Parts: sequence; structure tokens; C-alpha cells
Amino acid sequence: MFRPFADWLGETPLSKTLQDQAWVVPTSQSIHILAVSIVFASACMINLRLLGVGQSGRSVSQLSNTLVPWMWRALALLLFTGLVQTVAEPVRQFVTPMFWTKMLMIVIVASMTAFYAKAVRRNAAAWDAASSRPSRAKVFAILSTLLWLAIIVCGRFIGYTWSFYA
Amino acid sequence: MSIEALLAIIEAWPISAAMRGETPGTEWLFPIIETLHVMALTLVVGSIAMMDLRLLGIASRNSAVSRLSNEVLPWTWTAWGVAAVFGTLMFMAKAATYAGNLQFRLKFVCMGFAAVNMLVFHFGAYRQVARWDSGAPPMSARVAGALSLLLWSGVVFFGRWVGFTT
Repeated sequence: MFRPFADWLGETPLSKTLQDQAWVVPTSQSIHILAVSIVFASACMINLRLLGVGQSGRSVSQLSNTLVPWMWRALALLLFTGLVQTVAEPVRQFVTPMFWTKMLMIVIVASMTAFYAKAVRRNAAAWDAASSRPSRAKVFAILSTLLWLAIIVCGRFIGYTWSFYA
Repeated sequence: MSIEALLAIIEAWPISAAMRGETPGTEWLFPIIETLHVMALTLVVGSIAMMDLRLLGIASRNSAVSRLSNEVLPWTWTAWGVAAVFGTLMFMAKAATYAGNLQFRLKFVCMGFAAVNMLVFHFGAYRQVARWDSGAPPMSARVAGALSLLLWSGVVFFGRWVGFTT
């Protein structure tokens, strides 16, 4: 269904320009991985804190208020570099279910994170004390970690599966 | 024994053949190991970036440097160990090719300098961390943070480029 669009996008002057520069895709992918590092490490720190694993001197609200804004910044960079890679190699992205699964999971985990950050901002005291923390905190922590891991798997496997569908 | 002979012996190991997908049932081994390598390295780079950005006074300013260090570095080292194990497995698949690859070598040059930078910081500015723990880090600590960010970005860049040049 997306194949005609991918073929059209691949023929646009912008796509052709990006394809002609051999350094664009590897460089974009490298920046993409650096941004993934910020998002994933931040998510893991927050989620481990919510699960009570490891030692942290910071409260849940301190940790979230510090790290979540960095996650949004890195996510913006991921969107941009992802867009560059999609324009440069549209067929590679659009034909494999790995890409669409990844996009769906990003929407879910980003929404979850936004709701979580808002809840912590609204009632920091309740979230900071383990005794009064909402029970859904642990569900969020586990689900968010699993989603980010699955997103990394899908991201890496776009490159290994697209040729089966093209 | 020459390096070439050693690399040839490594490539001849059954586990190296499996990493190349030559053994029946191992066709997906390399992508899986590579994905695990990526997961681990994002945690290494992300957690180091948190420390570096704190030293530069850009992020986590409400957290004492020593506290952040105790909080983050155990995860950095664990993730580094995991990334090193999976990276070694990937290396074994095509040991001679990687050993002769410019980007692969530059990646390890960057990591070597990052290690030296870390040692200089640890036995230098960090010895007097009590004096600046909660405030602005001294110039030498800021330089260490900037160098670390630069060198680890280099590790990621060259690492990604290995995949495009081998």
C-alpha cells in the first residue's frame, strides 16, 4: 500500500540529493544512536528508580523533572534523523512491518511518558514516597522498559528485514 | 605467531562460523548479537553523557557530582562489559576484516583516549570533588566532560561506520 508512495518519494529531488551523498545516511544513523542513548538511558534510570532497583540519591520527581525534558529533546533529534533516513531510503523503511511496529510503539511509549511526567509534576509528594506512589508506577516502569527495548530491536531489524518485502 | 595467523585461527572457530551464519540455524545470530550490543552501548553512552553534561554544568545541576557518579557508573561499567562481550563475538565473525578496517581502528583509538581522559579526571580533579561537589566544576573537570562527550560520540560514529565499510 505504501510502496507507490515510497517509490514516488525516492524519485524526488530531495531524496536524490540525499542518496547522492554517501555520508548522509551513516552520519544520520550515528546521531540517531547517540540520541537513542539519551532516551534509553534516561528511561532506564527513571524506570529502575520506580521499581526500586539500584541506588539513587534523587527522588522520583527530581529524577523525572531532570531527565524527561532531555528525553523530549533527544526524541526531537530522533524524529529529524529518522526523517532524513526515511527520505533517503523510503522503500527500506515503508515495506517492512518492523518500521510500522516501531512507529506504533513510539507513539504508545511517548504518550505514556507524557502522562507519567504530568502525573509526577501534579503530585510530586505522592510519587516521591514509595508508600504513597500509585501502584501503576511499576506497571509503567516495566511496560516502558519493554517498549523501548522492542523499539531498538525493530529499529535494528528494519535493516535486516526490508529486502524480504521489497 | 603472527597477528594474521591468530586472526585466521579465531575466524576458524565454530562460534565464529556461527556468527557468520554459516552453521544451520545461526542465520539470525549476528543481527541478534548486534542488537544486544546496541542496547548495551546506548546505556554506556547515555549514562556517561549524564556525567559529562553534569560536569559541563548543562544537566542534573541539582545533583552532587559524587552522588550522580555513584548512581550512574555501576550501570555504565555493567553495560560496558555486556557491550564488550557481544562486540567481541561480532569481531570474531570477520576478525581479519575488522582488524584491518580504518573505522574499526579509529573506534578503539577513541575508546583508548576516553579511558585515558577518565583516568586523568579520576586521579586529578575528582580527588578534590568535595570542594566542588554541589557547585560549578573546575575547568579541568569541564574539559574532561567535553572530551568524554566528544570521544564517546567518536566511538559511536566510527562503530556505525564499520558496518558501512566492511
